Amino acid sequence: MGLGFMVGVLGVLFLFHAAYSTIQGLLKIMEEEFSGPPMNVSLIVLDLILWFELLGFVFCISAALTVPGYFLSIHPDSEENRIVSLSANLDFMIFNHRAKALPLETDMKLKH
Amino acid sequence: MAGHSDSSSSEKKSSEAMNDVPTFSTENMQNNMKVIYYSRTFMSIIGGVIAGILGFTGFMGFIFYFLVMAITSIGLIAKAKFSVHLYFDSWNRIILDGFMGGLMSFVLFWTFAYDIVHIF
Repeated sequence: MGLGFMVGVLGVLFLFHAAYSTIQGLLKIMEEEFSGPPMNVSLIVLDLILWFELLGFVFCISAALTVPGYFLSIHPDSEENRIVSLSANLDFMIFNHRAKALPLETDMKLKH
Repeated sequence: MAGHSDSSSSEKKSSEAMNDVPTFSTENMQNNMKVIYYSRTFMSIIGGVIAGILGFTGFMGFIFYFLVMAITSIGLIAKAKFSVHLYFDSWNRIILDGFMGGLMSFVLFWTFAYDIVHIF
């Protein structure tokens, strides 16, 4: 779980780096109007940005698929669903039971 | 009705009269839906940020959103080891659930990232 989370954070950092590179590239051109897709950024920087984005996307999607947890089988007959338990619900807790009918063990210890 | 819904955790939906109706454990079903929801929300946010950085405008952005959601669906089906009936009761859940909710997050982060990167 920790590893998946770190991978996701790394992917997001890659995306931030790509955004930063895009801003730097656009600032260099000193354009005042909209440029739409960063076609005016130099080709090398664009290539680097795209690679970072792709890597960031791949890391993020692998984190998105591993961090939230596993799928659990919904068939009641499957092997991992054999043992079922009640949650800690007050309606089903028993506080008044027949243990007082059992012989107390403390008497036996005091005999030593 | 209220007492029925928050009783034991492994409550099963079943009709004992007929054996044709499939039974399934709702707690695990809810867990699986939660996993799908988290995955889709995160991927729509990331897709929005990427669309903003790449500078998509208009229709291209929505096409990109559908592409990201399709990739996420394929990833989720692969995570379910391609036997979807083991974890869900219908195909619609793993393919379509969370689509529209993710669209709103996508557009939000798309405009946000686009503004930061291209307009500052």
